[in-house]
Amino acid sequence: MARYGMALDYKNCINCKACEVACKEENGVLLGADKHRIWVGVKEIEGEYPLLDIVSSTFMPSQCQHCDDAPCEMVCPTHATYYDDNNVVRVDVDKCILCSYCMNACPYDARYVDDRTMTVDKCTFCSDTRLERGEVTTACQNTCPTKVRTFGDLDDPDSEISELLRTREHFSLKANLGTKPKLFYLT
Amino acid sequence: MNIEKIKEFITTIPVNKVCARDLMAFEKTPRNNILAVVIFSFLAMLVVGVAIYLGQGHHAYNVTREHPWGLLIAVYIFFVVSSTGLCIVGSLGDVFGFKDYELISKRAIFGSIVTILAGFTVIAFEIGHPITMMIYNIASPGLTSAIWWMGTLYGLYLTFMVIEFIFLLKHDMKMARYFGLTGLLVGLAAHSNLGSVFGFLNARPISNGVFYPTYFILTAFITGIFIAFILMGFRYKLDFSEKVKTMLTGLAKIQALLISILIFFVTWKMLTDIYGGMPNRAEVAIHILGSWTFWAEVILAMVIPLYLILKDMGKSHVILFWASMSGMVGIFFMRYNLVHDTQLKPLQMLKTREYQVAPEWIHYFPSSTEIMISLGGLGLCMAMYYVGTKVFNLDEDTKEVK
Repeated sequence: MARYGMALDYKNCINCKACEVACKEENGVLLGADKHRIWVGVKEIEGEYPLLDIVSSTFMPSQCQHCDDAPCEMVCPTHATYYDDNNVVRVDVDKCILCSYCMNACPYDARYVDDRTMTVDKCTFCSDTRLERGEVTTACQNTCPTKVRTFGDLDDPDSEISELLRTREHFSLKANLGTKPKLFYLT
Repeated sequence: MNIEKIKEFITTIPVNKVCARDLMAFEKTPRNNILAVVIFSFLAMLVVGVAIYLGQGHHAYNVTREHPWGLLIAVYIFFVVSSTGLCIVGSLGDVFGFKDYELISKRAIFGSIVTILAGFTVIAFEIGHPITMMIYNIASPGLTSAIWWMGTLYGLYLTFMVIEFIFLLKHDMKMARYFGLTGLLVGLAAHSNLGSVFGFLNARPISNGVFYPTYFILTAFITGIFIAFILMGFRYKLDFSEKVKTMLTGLAKIQALLISILIFFVTWKMLTDIYGGMPNRAEVAIHILGSWTFWAEVILAMVIPLYLILKDMGKSHVILFWASMSGMVGIFFMRYNLVHDTQLKPLQMLKTREYQVAPEWIHYFPSSTEIMISLGGLGLCMAMYYVGTKVFNLDEDTKEVK
């Protein structure tokens, strides 16, 4: 069994939002649903026209961090949120009672209510679709024109992501909380 | 044989047979008439609110992704805190043997049952899938979840409270003591778990920590005493006998101590939140200090009741009845603030490093449906209590203790 993670070379992001579109298409996310499953955060340009600091603007693709110690998994009263065999944090819609505790507990605001199932959904690293078909890619990674995302098995020392994390400086979001995210931002 | 015994046990529970006409046969004073209209209005609101909810689901509420817990969670907490508080007050006499407080035991325990039932009613319309909850709470228990422990223990607590109440009705004080003590311990465990629902939120520095699990027990006791004054005020129409006055003075003195400790707790909570300017915590605390709902909580639940108790050490029972009314409004704000303040700070989806300043505060105001269901819960609680006063003898038994 694998331990999937993702490395994001976020400085390459051009905010084309192709990843959001691909995610919606692959996973059947509602069209027009904002910041569901994945999103691109935008840090606006600093300064006032004409003295704009163009390089101050950054784009920060983000999503569920698939923490190794996920607060959303720990607080779920019915185990609707669980780790699958690949250590991906998943949701069993049959067990979700919509108490919204996971939404409050997730430090990354990665959980949202799916209006169709009325359960709390999240990014699954395409586990229901691509991984199930045997592909070791995610829709967002596959479509990215600037190759921001690298997806793979963190336990496999020969995987591309393991190589990247060995050779590139990286950081995790809110690392001080001890959630051990499996999303790594390359610097 | 055993079934026969159970049948006999149940059929010998002392109850008054009442019909709808008996329920409407209250003294037609202006106060009673107003109360009846209020209760019926609130029950009507419950029906309308639930109908809207069943049609529109959570879209009928003003809860959002950023503020997923709203007024109904606050009202649920309000009711279960009241229940735990009444359980503590009821236990003073029948569990711990303080004779002065025995006269309120039965009434307080019955109050604890109706308040928790009202709480369960309200939360049933906040939880998206309550039936799924009942099934998977047992089939797939999340033992690391504070909500699981809280819900499960409250279910057990309700069972023990009902059994204790039955033994109190039967005047079997020995069994009432056993079940009362067990119910009290389970209730305290449930209630501190409710505090830990917030205390365990590592993502929310303003709530995270040991404060809420302990503070919940303290405020439960305070709430219980406020309600005890209100229940006794209505029972005796503010014309108290000497025996009741002795009990109320005793409760008022305990209340003065508890409110003083609460003020001490809240002061230090605020100081430690602000001290050092820890990001995500200090600015939230400062924001809370600037909100009128926080000061409503402080003035109505702490300052006014404490001042009126200390004025003559709890001897002005009628004034303390009104102070308790003020206290309960303050306690409502306390619960609302607890839920809202926890979610004030956005979780910062755009942040790249720790402690980036958040863009703004999360705003929330309950929808009319949330308000109707909340008031409906209060109406249901009052209606159940009124029916209880007719069906059961909630006064102290004077016959010999078994």
